[in-house]
Amino acid sequence: MNYKHIFLAMTLGAIGAGCSNIERSRDLANPAVPGHVLAVQVCAICHGVDGNSTSPAFPRLAGQQAAYIVNQLKNFRAQGRSDPAGSEYMWGLSHHLTDAQIDDIAAYYAKQKVVAPDVPTDPKLMAAGKDIFENGVPAQNVIACAACHGPKGQGIEAFPRIANQHADYIVKQLNVFQINQGRPGTPMEFIAHPLTGDNKDAVAAYLQDFPN
Amino acid sequence: MFALVKFFHRSPVRMAELACGLLTTLLLLGSLDAQALPLFARQTGQNCLSCHAGGQFPELTPYGRMFKMTGYTIGARTVPISVMGVATYSKVADTSKSDDPAADFQKNGAPLFATGSLFLGGKVTDNIGAFAQVTYDNYAGQAVGDSGNNDGRFQGHTNADNMDFRYADHLIDDKRDFVYGLSVNNNPSVSDPWNTAPAWMQYVPVPSPTSSQFIDGNAPFASFGSGGNIAGVSAYMFWNKTIYAELGTYQTANRGLSFLSAGINDANTTKLQGSNNPYWRLAYSHEWGAHNIMVGATGMIAHIYDLGSDTSDPGNLGRVKNTGLDAQYQYLLDPHTITAQLSYMRQVQDYSPNTLLNFASPFVLADGLTPVAAANPSDTTNVFRAKLGYVYQAKYGGSVAFFNKTGTANTLNQSSGFDTNGQITSTDPLGTGIASTRVTGNLSGNPATRGFTYEAFWMPIQNIRIGAQYTAYSKFNGATDNYDGLGRNARDNNTLFLYVWGAY
Ligand code: HEC
Ligand code: HEC
Repeated sequence: MNYKHIFLAMTLGAIGAGCSNIERSRDLANPAVPGHVLAVQVCAICHGVDGNSTSPAFPRLAGQQAAYIVNQLKNFRAQGRSDPAGSEYMWGLSHHLTDAQIDDIAAYYAKQKVVAPDVPTDPKLMAAGKDIFENGVPAQNVIACAACHGPKGQGIEAFPRIANQHADYIVKQLNVFQINQGRPGTPMEFIAHPLTGDNKDAVAAYLQDFPN
Repeated sequence: MFALVKFFHRSPVRMAELACGLLTTLLLLGSLDAQALPLFARQTGQNCLSCHAGGQFPELTPYGRMFKMTGYTIGARTVPISVMGVATYSKVADTSKSDDPAADFQKNGAPLFATGSLFLGGKVTDNIGAFAQVTYDNYAGQAVGDSGNNDGRFQGHTNADNMDFRYADHLIDDKRDFVYGLSVNNNPSVSDPWNTAPAWMQYVPVPSPTSSQFIDGNAPFASFGSGGNIAGVSAYMFWNKTIYAELGTYQTANRGLSFLSAGINDANTTKLQGSNNPYWRLAYSHEWGAHNIMVGATGMIAHIYDLGSDTSDPGNLGRVKNTGLDAQYQYLLDPHTITAQLSYMRQVQDYSPNTLLNFASPFVLADGLTPVAAANPSDTTNVFRAKLGYVYQAKYGGSVAFFNKTGTANTLNQSSGFDTNGQITSTDPLGTGIASTRVTGNLSGNPATRGFTYEAFWMPIQNIRIGAQYTAYSKFNGATDNYDGLGRNARDNNTLFLYVWGAY
C-alpha cells in the first residue's frame, strides 16, 4: 500500500467533489445547505436526531412549536438570549444561519414525534407539580402554566411546548428567568419571580413526566 | 499547510522566531475575531466545554467525539491556526542521592517556559479536515560549546507532534446513524475519539529537563511500543453511536510522508519494516441521561528495527505486540463533570537477534565472580492505570490516578549491578571498568513501577488551566527501596509538578 497515493486520492476526491456535499454537509456558513440537513448532521448530536435528546444537558426540541424555535434561534443569532449555556453552546452555531435555514430547522423539529423520557417520578412531587401547572400558586400570585402553555403543555406559536422537557433544563430556565435575566422581555420573568425552589422542582418533575 | 510543516522541517525555528511568530499569530487572530478561541472553537463558535468534558481539554464529550469522527468538519471555515504554551515547575523530593544533581535534576524547582505548539487544521471541505500539531520544545537538547562539549545551555527544537488528516462522511436516517472515515496520522490511536486511548490519556505536555523525569506524564501509561512519528492510515466507523471499529496499518514516516516525523532526526525516528504493522480498535459506547460509557479493546503489532537506524540488516528487526483494554465513564451535567477512566496494556517485546547478540552484561553477581543470567530474548510488561476526576462549574477540578507497571525481569534492562570487587559503584574508583547508573538505574532488571498522582486545577478562563500534580511512588524500577543499588528509594522520586497551560 502506498500512503502517498491515498493522500493524493483524498485531496483529488475533495477537489473532484467540488469540495461540498450539500446533502450531508456540516457547514454552518453555507446558505445553500438546507436547514434540515444541518439539523441531522450537527444539531442532532446534542438534541437528538428526532429532537428527543437523551442528555438533560440539551433541551428536547421534538414537537416544539416552530414559531418558538424560530424566535429562539434568531435570539441566539442576535446574541440576545444570553444565559451562560445559551451563549456557550448556541451563539456560535446560530451565528451564520439564514432565516430560510432557521425556518427549515424549526419545521423539521416541530413535526417530530415526542418520546416521553422514561424517568420514574415521586408521586407526591407529581401531584404538587400538577397543581402548580393547572392552578398556579394563587398565594404567591403565580398564574397557572397551562393558561399560556396549553392544557397539555403543548404550547402554541411563541408559547413553547414544555411537556416532556427535561426537568433539569426546566429548572435551569426558570432560574434564568428568575435570577440570571439572560432571557429578557418575556412574561416568564414575572411568572418565575415568586416561585420557590420546591415549586420549581415539583413543576419541572411533573412536566418531564407529563401524562400523555 | 504541508509547505508550512516542511518549512519547519528545513529550518528549525529558533526561540526568537517562534516568539515573533506566536505574536504575529495572536495579533492576526485578535484582529479577526474579538472572541477568538482555539481554532476548533472558532470554527463552531462554541465554548471549549461543548467539546471538552467540563472544559478540561483534551478530554472529549460525546459531541466532541462526533466532531472528531466527522473529520473536524462541523462549523464554518476559519483561521486554521491555534497556539498553545506551557509553563512548568518541577520539584523532585530528594536530589541528594545523586552524583551530579545538576545533571540528574536539571532545572529542579525553576519555573520554565517548557513547550509551545502551533496547531494547523480544522475544516477543509465538507468531508475533509485536519488536526496537525507542531511542537517547539524549549529544552530539547543542550548546546555544544566551543570546546565541543555540552556547555550546559539548553537549545530549543521544533518537530512534528500529533497529526491527523481525515476524510469522513455521516449517513443518517430513521434507523441508522453511521459515521465512517479515513485517517492519515502519525501516532497509533491519535485518531481515537476516547481519552483512555494511549495517545490521549497522558495529556499535560512533559518538559524535557530531567527534573521532570518523574512527573505523572513520565510515569507508566498504557502505550504502544512503536511510539509516535510513524505514518499510518486507518479506516474507521461508528455505528448507531454504539459500535466503533477502526483498522489501520503503519510504516516508517519517510520519503513523501516525512512531514509526519519532521524535525526528528534519523536516529530517533522509529523504523518499521514495510507497511504491515497493523493497528486495531473496537469499542462499545452507550449514552443514557447525562451519563455515557465506553468499553473497548485495542492492539498493534509493530515490526521495529530496534538497533539504530540501519534497516538493511534483517538481524536488527524486533517485534512488539500490544493488546489493551480500556473503559471510560462520564457524567456531564452543569455544574458537575465526573470522569472515570481505566486502561490496561500488555506488551510483548521480542528483541532483534542483533540486540541479543551484541549484548554482554558488564555486571556480575554479588560474589564478584558469577556472571549474571543471559538476556531473555523477550519481555512482557503490563501497565494498568485508573483515574477518577471531578470538575465543578468547568472551573475547579481535581483527580486521583493510580498506576501500576509490572513485567518480566531481564538482565538486558539492568543498568546497575555488582562489579568484580563485589561492589556497586557509580564512579568506579577501583578501575574495574564497571559503573552503575544512579537515579535512573535499575538493579533488578525489573520494570515494576507503581504509585499515585493527585491533581488539582483551576481554569480561570476557558483557555487557561493552572494545575498542580503530586506523584508519589511506592515502587520504581522493580523495588521500593534501593532500586538503583546506590541507595535511592522509590519515594525519593516523588515529584511536585505545577503547570500553566494556555491555548489560543
Ligand atoms: C454541543 C451541543 C449542541 C449542539 C450541537 C446544538 N445545540 Fe442547541 N442547545 C444546546 C444547549 C446546551 C441548549 C440550552 C441553552 C440554554 O440553556 O440556554 C440549546 C438550546 C437550543 C434551543 C433552545 C431550546 C429551547 O427550548 O429554548 C434551540 C432552538 C436549539 N438549541 C437549536 C439548535 C440547532 C438548530 C442546532 C444546530 C444548528 C443546535 N441547537 C445544536 C446545545 C447544543
Ligand atoms: C403569561 C403566559 C405564561 C405563563 C402563565 C407561563 N409561561 Fe412559561 N413561557 C411563556 C412564554 C411566552 C415563554 C417563551 C419565552 C421566550 O420566548 O423566551 C415561556 C417559556 C417558558 C419556559 C422555557 C422553555 C424553553 O424551552 O426554554 C419554561 C421552562 C416555562 N415557560 C415554564 C413555565 C411554567 C413552569 C409556568 C407556570 C409556573 C409558566 N411557564 C407559565 C409564557 C408563559
